[in-house]
Parts: sequence; C-alpha cells; structure tokens
Amino acid sequence: MPARNHSQWLANPELKEGEWIDSRVYSDQEIFNDEMEKIFKRVWVPVCHESELPEPYDFRTTSIAGEPIIVSRGPDKEIRAFLNVCPHRGMLLERRPSGSFLEGQPSGNPKRITCMFHAWQFDMKGNCVYVAREKEGYQDRLCKENVGLRRLRCEVKFGGFVWVTLDDSPKVSLEEWAGEPFECLRESIDAEPLEVFHYHKAIIDTNYKLWHDTNSEFYHDFMHYHNRVTGFNDAYFARKNFAFKHGHVVVGTFEVNYENYEGFESRAELSFPHLPPNQWYMVDLFPGMNFNLRGSALRCDIVTPLGPDKVMIEFRGLGLKRDTPQEREIRINHHNSIWGPFGRNLHEDLIGVAGQGTTMRPHTEQRRILHGRQENQTIHDEVGMRHYYDEWGRWMNRLPNDPEKSWHERNPAEAAAAAE
Amino acid sequence: MQKNGHDAASVVRDTIYRATMALDDQKWDDWLNLCDEEFHYRISAFSPEINKDMIYLQGKRKDMEGLVKLLPKHNTDHSPLRRHTSVYTVEVADDMSSAEAVSSFVIYQNMLDGVNSHLDSGESRLFLVGKYYDKFKLEDGKAKFVNREVRLDNRRLDKGSHWPL
Ligand code: FES
Ligand SMILES: [Fe+2]
Repeated sequence: MPARNHSQWLANPELKEGEWIDSRVYSDQEIFNDEMEKIFKRVWVPVCHESELPEPYDFRTTSIAGEPIIVSRGPDKEIRAFLNVCPHRGMLLERRPSGSFLEGQPSGNPKRITCMFHAWQFDMKGNCVYVAREKEGYQDRLCKENVGLRRLRCEVKFGGFVWVTLDDSPKVSLEEWAGEPFECLRESIDAEPLEVFHYHKAIIDTNYKLWHDTNSEFYHDFMHYHNRVTGFNDAYFARKNFAFKHGHVVVGTFEVNYENYEGFESRAELSFPHLPPNQWYMVDLFPGMNFNLRGSALRCDIVTPLGPDKVMIEFRGLGLKRDTPQEREIRINHHNSIWGPFGRNLHEDLIGVAGQGTTMRPHTEQRRILHGRQENQTIHDEVGMRHYYDEWGRWMNRLPNDPEKSWHERNPAEAAAAAE
Repeated sequence: MQKNGHDAASVVRDTIYRATMALDDQKWDDWLNLCDEEFHYRISAFSPEINKDMIYLQGKRKDMEGLVKLLPKHNTDHSPLRRHTSVYTVEVADDMSSAEAVSSFVIYQNMLDGVNSHLDSGESRLFLVGKYYDKFKLEDGKAKFVNREVRLDNRRLDKGSHWPL
C-alpha cells in the first residue's frame, strides 16, 4: 500500500480484535491512574532479593504505586514489609535505600526503626515501642499499642525474591499467582540460595508496558546483532511462547551459540543447577516483571511506572550464593556483556522503547499498535502481548483496542462468572 | 621530585589526556594504541542497594578490540559522549618502569538523538561522573595503559552505552 492519508492512517487494520490495540493505552494519564489503583495496588510485586538483606536488622526501601515501602529482616530472620510511613505525622521512616537498624540513629536506639522527626520507635515486627513523652501528650487517649506500622503481605519465593502486595486480601495467593509460569525455572532457581551481583536502574520516557512488551516478544531480535548471530537457527525459530493464567507468559528454551559472536564464549560450564547447557528461559509476569535465565546468569527486571510516559526499570543479575570469586566473575561477564548497562543488547532494547515513548506522548494522536503476528505460537508470534492485553482489559474493564469501552460488556459470560 | 620522575609524570598525564581526546572523538584505534598488549579495562561501581562492588563491563585488550570492531553492526545512540578529565595524582615507581594515576571525569552526552532530536539535539546532559584509576608501563619515554578502572558514581544509567568510557 502506498503512504496513507489521515483517515486511512486512523482506520482499523485488517486484523481481528485482540490483534491490535489503541495507543492511548500507552499514553493516557487517566488510564495510567486507573492502572495504579486497579492493577499495581492489587498484584504481587518482587521488590528486591533476600540476599540484599542477609543479616538480622538489615533493611531495603522501595515503593509500589507511589506508596513507600520498607522491607526488613527481624532478629528471627523473617523478612517483613511495612509502609515506610510514620503513623504520627507521615514522615518517611527510613530515607536510605538500604542499611541496618543495628546501628542507633541520631533520634533513636539500635534495633529500632526510628522516625527522626519526633523519635517514635518501632520494632522489627512493626510494633510501636516508644512514643516520646507519651503520657504527657496523650494521657490515656492514645497509646503506643495502637499506633503500629502498616504491615504488608510479604513472601520470599521463586528463587529468593521478596514479594509484596499492597492488597491485604489479594485475589490469589502468590503460589497461585505465579507458580505455573515459574515451573520451568523452579528446579534451577530453588535448588540452592541465589545472590544478587548486579544492580542498576534506568528511568526512561516511555510507558512501562512498552518495556514489558519488548520482554514478551522476540521479533525485535532483528535489532540485536548479538541475538541474530547467536540465535537465528531452526531451534530458535521453533522456540515456543506459552501463555499462563493471570496474563503471564513463558518463552521456551533453545540452545544459544554464543561462540558465533566474536569474542564470546559458551556459558555451559556455569549453568544453573538442573539447567541443560546454554539454555535460555524467559518468564514474563503480568503486569511488568521479567525473569530471564540465560544459562549461567539470572536477570530480573522490575518496573516502577512513574507516569503514562515514564518508567523506572530496576535491573538485577543473580548467581549462586556459593560461587567462588572466579565463578562469580565469569557469571558477571556473561550477564553484563549482553545485559549490563554497557552490554550489547540492553542499550538497544532501551533505545527501542524510548523511541516508542517519543511517538506516544500524552495527547499525541491515537494510533493502532499491531500485535497480530501469528506463527503457531513460536518465537516471533506476538501471542505474548495478545495474552497480556486480554488480561489487562479484564483488570481495567477497558477494551485495549477501544479503552473507553467496557471489557465486561464485551465479555458478559466471563464477567458474570467472575462476579460470582 | 628528580628531573626524570617529573618527566615521567608529565608523560603519564599527557597519555591520559590523549586517551580523553581519542575517546571523545570515538577514535577507538587511537585509544587502543595508547594501551599495552596486557591492557585490562573495567567499568565498576559500588551499589549501596545490594551492598556490593559491581563490574558493569570488563575485558582484556583483545576483548576491547573485538568490542569496538563490532560497533558498526550494533544499533547505538548517536549522541557523542565527551568528557572533562582532571588528573589528580601520578605516582611513578622508584625504578621508573611503571606508574599509577587517579583522575576524575565528568562525561556529558551531547544530544544528537535525545528523546526527540527535534527538541533535544544540541543540548548537553550530564551522563556519568566518576574516577579513572589507571596503571601504566613506562618504556622508551612512553607511558602505556596496562590497566584502566572506570569507577562510576552513577547507578542510574538510563539508556546506557555501547562505547568504552
Ligand atoms: S512524624 Fe514520625 S514521629 Fe512524628
Ligand atoms: Fe531485546
């Protein structure tokens, strides 16, 4: 077809519903606000890894849907999560990204979470244990027993990640949420303790779903020289996408030929436990978390959406806790030569989604974004995105290709079943 | 310092600044020509988030040669990276065969692509801040890099880069 005029450009493509979506899904502020309330405040999010807080009283801070969160390990070694908010007048309890409560702070005692503002103190279970001049100010009207922290559901699972949800009664347990997609990796990541060796973050002017889309489709391997030369073979093109309940997708494995990229080596020697050499599995969890095991190193991406056109992505790399320094260094090289901030692929992926973000700024004209490749669910089939947006429509009650319209009205039978 | 030691220190300084210009101009071969066969390169940072020293990229001279040779095959942000380097200290070994230097650097991204080149091109944005920890072999009045550690303060790296820093 020659270049199109305006109405041709805006016309629906000759594809079935579900095979394309409306770009407002990636650019509209109201839709974004809705996503925070209806999705991010209700799902399980892997906020960090247990190896980031190995000792009693260690802590990490993070956030979900704008709510600040503190994760800490108690003297009983249990990891717990709380809102990082002081119940007195709303001060952020801990300002650092990480540290230990073993040390006392200028306003408070060791082994306590102390609010620096008026010195209220909390223990590792979130109990308020000290209110400065409690009786003098509150007499018997308010006591520390009733002003504990807001605790959050928190579980350590699937390779030692710390999962938190803001929802006290989540729709499903964490096991039901992600157990099935993790089945392909479970033996490998749960055989023994893992440890994070890599962390960096990117803040990109794009929608968080565009990052997840990129992680859910391999058609874009055309932009990665590395993946073309190490991947494109019969086994690669036979690689399958598997859709799971709750909008998750797994990309099945194949054997990567790393030696085909000049200067790179096989990763066989340091394969994760129970993983055949040079295999590569990818788990994409709704609404935007990715676990990627390339033989010798596990990568995990966690998105923190900041606006319809802004996302923070945290990148982690993990190896086995028992690695010798030599083994660890090899894993780090394997991970970072491709996936590091100065590696061969990650820079290209980020340029790709930043470019999409540029054309889908808030208030840009709505367009059709095609998700319609059908290749028997194999590697360049866009089934991963279709599956994701079907789930997205369900959670948001919006049709991805016409987001002002109700998903439930279009799917009355399923909506009725869900209501029961 | 004796005359010789003083000369050696200025050769080291000069080599660091030549490397700065070669990297600024993406003259990768000129940069590698300042490096010994034994050269080892590493970009590192400390992450308080995970409480670990990290290596973001590393390689021997041969690896770096391969990396720059394949750059034309890779899609890359076109915005040049340019730096200010200040040599802080140069320590020449007593036997005058080697030297170590510490420099600070600030790398700017001079936008060509940006997010939207229509708006961003021409602007310079702070990209990376850190220190170079360099080791040199001194021979025939020349200083050759045997080691460069690019120690970054940044852990927020946004799009990152394909290029040696
Ligand atoms: S706000 Fe925390 S003690 Fe007052
Ligand atoms: Fe990619």
